[in-house]
Amino acid sequence: MAAKKAGPASLKLAAVLDLNEASNLHGKLVSMRGSDLRIDASGVERVGVQCAQVLLAGVKAWEEDKKSLLVEKASDAFQKTMQLIGINNQNLVAKEI
Amino acid sequence: MDMNEIKEIFFQECEEQLAELESGLLKLNDGDRDPETVNAVFRAVHSIKGGAGAFGLDDLVSFAHVFETTLDCVRSNKLEPTQDVLKVMLKSADVLADLVTASRDGGGVDESRSRSLVKELEALAHGELPSSSGHDAPKPAAKAAPAAKVELPKPSDDSGFQPIPFSFDGFGEDDEPAVEGSLYEVIFKPRRELYSKGNEAALLLRDLSRLGEMSINCDTDALPALDRMDPEASYFSWKISIRTTRSEDDIRAVFEFAEWDCDLEVKFAEEASSNEELPMVPVPFDLSILDDSSAGEEETASERGASEEAVAAALSAAETASNVSRAARVAEKKESAAASAAAQNNAAAAAAGAGQTIRVDLDRVDRLINLVGELVINQAMLSQSVVENDATGTSAVNMGLEELQQLTREIQDSVMAIRAQPVKPVFQRMSRIVREVADMVGKSIRLVTEGENTEVDKTVIDKIAEPLTHMIRNAVDHGIESPEKREAAGKDPEGTIKLTAKHRSGRILIELADDGAGINRERVRQKAIDNDIIAADANLSDDEIDNLIFMAGFSTADKISDISGRGVGMDVVKRSIQALGGRISISSRPGYGSTFTMSLPLTLAVLDGMVVTVAGQTLVVPLTAIVETLQPEASAIHSFGANQRLISIRNSFCPLVDVGRVLNYRTTQANPVEGVALLVESEGGGQRALMVDAIQGQRQVVIKSLEANYTHVPGIAAATILGDGRVALILDVDAVVAASRGQSMKPEMSLAATG
Repeated sequence: MAAKKAGPASLKLAAVLDLNEASNLHGKLVSMRGSDLRIDASGVERVGVQCAQVLLAGVKAWEEDKKSLLVEKASDAFQKTMQLIGINNQNLVAKEI
Repeated sequence: MDMNEIKEIFFQECEEQLAELESGLLKLNDGDRDPETVNAVFRAVHSIKGGAGAFGLDDLVSFAHVFETTLDCVRSNKLEPTQDVLKVMLKSADVLADLVTASRDGGGVDESRSRSLVKELEALAHGELPSSSGHDAPKPAAKAAPAAKVELPKPSDDSGFQPIPFSFDGFGEDDEPAVEGSLYEVIFKPRRELYSKGNEAALLLRDLSRLGEMSINCDTDALPALDRMDPEASYFSWKISIRTTRSEDDIRAVFEFAEWDCDLEVKFAEEASSNEELPMVPVPFDLSILDDSSAGEEETASERGASEEAVAAALSAAETASNVSRAARVAEKKESAAASAAAQNNAAAAAAGAGQTIRVDLDRVDRLINLVGELVINQAMLSQSVVENDATGTSAVNMGLEELQQLTREIQDSVMAIRAQPVKPVFQRMSRIVREVADMVGKSIRLVTEGENTEVDKTVIDKIAEPLTHMIRNAVDHGIESPEKREAAGKDPEGTIKLTAKHRSGRILIELADDGAGINRERVRQKAIDNDIIAADANLSDDEIDNLIFMAGFSTADKISDISGRGVGMDVVKRSIQALGGRISISSRPGYGSTFTMSLPLTLAVLDGMVVTVAGQTLVVPLTAIVETLQPEASAIHSFGANQRLISIRNSFCPLVDVGRVLNYRTTQANPVEGVALLVESEGGGQRALMVDAIQGQRQVVIKSLEANYTHVPGIAAATILGDGRVALILDVDAVVAASRGQSMKPEMSLAATG
């Protein structure tokens, strides 16, 4: 999954973001660094804290790179879990565009 | 330990929880409003739900959840536990028990019943609540809270990195009438193991959020840079303020399964009443302060990775930050710290006070008991052969033997104590039956139990349930009148059935008394004549008529219902009680109710007996039945009627029963002067003198069932193996006494025998 230099890359999150998915997600994010990223969380059914950790670390990394990382679409489950565990990060709360 | 074993333990615990649930509900039903009782009930349902969730028993979980929701309303005083509410709750407890059984043994449950109960419970949780705070039932609240949050992202903070110490739903809801409860601070820091064991912090937090109104602060400072992080490690920790009516223990219970894999701190922050003074307004949030303090922290934190110190530092930073926003409360918090410490001490003391128990497979206990039984027999054999070889009885061997005897006895008592269980679970099952049957027949009946903690051998408990159920159904169906009739008779329209257990002279006495109409002797008599049980001209005493209901094929119910009245009632009951070595009797007062009395042996394994000789046979008479023994003198024997004799003991007369005759060991009457009389007390209360030829001695004998190995013999309770290896029969004293009383009892005995 090479990051495209041209437009913002996009990443669709898996339905179940559990412990097993955390490494996967981490790998994907690492490989996509360096360009703007739009995350599609519309298909997420379950989010574990570990994936939330990875996502938040990703947000920070993108911040350092001065690139944008945004969650564009988020499922109910995704939003609720993020709120539940107290992640009120702007970038991870889907914008209602 | 494989999954099945764990599941088995879960079901065992379920049973305990169900018992707890039921007794709690019954207490509430009796007007107990102790919050601890409500809590106990709630905990029981909650634990079942939690365990069921772990095993994916969805039906159980969903029902338990609805139940729990309603209970929570009771707990938070939103729902008054009136009789009507409790009726639904008790029914729900029954359904919950059914669901547990169905989950364990397979098979279905009455779905329409559980569905309608779910509706009723939900109606209670939502419908009957006081207006505004009424919508705070746990489930809707959990849903509503996040929804409120979505609309309130603070646009002031551009960096977007820092967690906001308090979620906003707390403030939103604070405008409404404040939710009562105390404020707790929870610091929750999962370790890597928590996740690697398949636990999920998000789920724990979700459970926690259901306890009350929660605001959460996720501390993400320990999170390293993306390329340096271990995706499976744990970096987040949480600082949570939760306002709940529950206790600290309840909060800890949420983390029950994860407590070893996380750092958990639950602090009592403030008393319920003071919540008005809370500075719970969004203004004091100074996000810049948070930014500053954690910006510096972030460097060090990422340098040190996930090391403990970093986490701790980050944690304290977060604490400082949140303290700023709650400065007004700090003083108060300190005050309460002492209180919470005291509370913790109390909790610890309480935990230490409760006895420790282990679960042991019943088979193992039975094996042990069997072995001890053999040991007793062996010891008896040994002492017998020693006695035979050493007539003087003074040798060291004899002394040692006596000690051995005492030790065996102690071992036996201790082993028996292992098997002894309180009758409580059986009694509790009965209250369900009363409820259900009373519902079916449209009567209102209270079951009062007494002496639930009376202990008796587990076998007895297991076997008593069925006859007791039968009798309870009978009492509800026939014993207690309809409310209208009761009212007409000037009684409380609500009937009472009283179930009592107590120890009496080495036996357990279970009494079942109803305050119904009593036995209609005229009808019983007529029925008995119609059914050819007695002759039309038979002259029976009231007592004898009452006892007719124990005859086979006897039922007084006018119509056959599915509750009782199939004509296989009381004779079956009597037979099962007899099979247990027990006796049952009835006493009834027309208009005031009937009382059934069951007397059962405490254990079915051993018995203290007097070994006697009758017509060359060795018999064992249970020692508990014997009042005294005496050598009759010729002058004390009086003839009475054709073949009855009385013995005069201390100026009172007592019928003399020739055991040899009754048991058909001999055809002629023995000469009383040549034998020994055993004065026994029979169930009916009267004393009888049993005549035997000689007393061999007292011995503890191991009971071997005659029914299991041969067949029931009237007048004989069981068998045993004596020291010399011979089989001796154990006398059923009451049966012998009854048989001696005359002809009337004999057909019944033989019926029981053939049944």
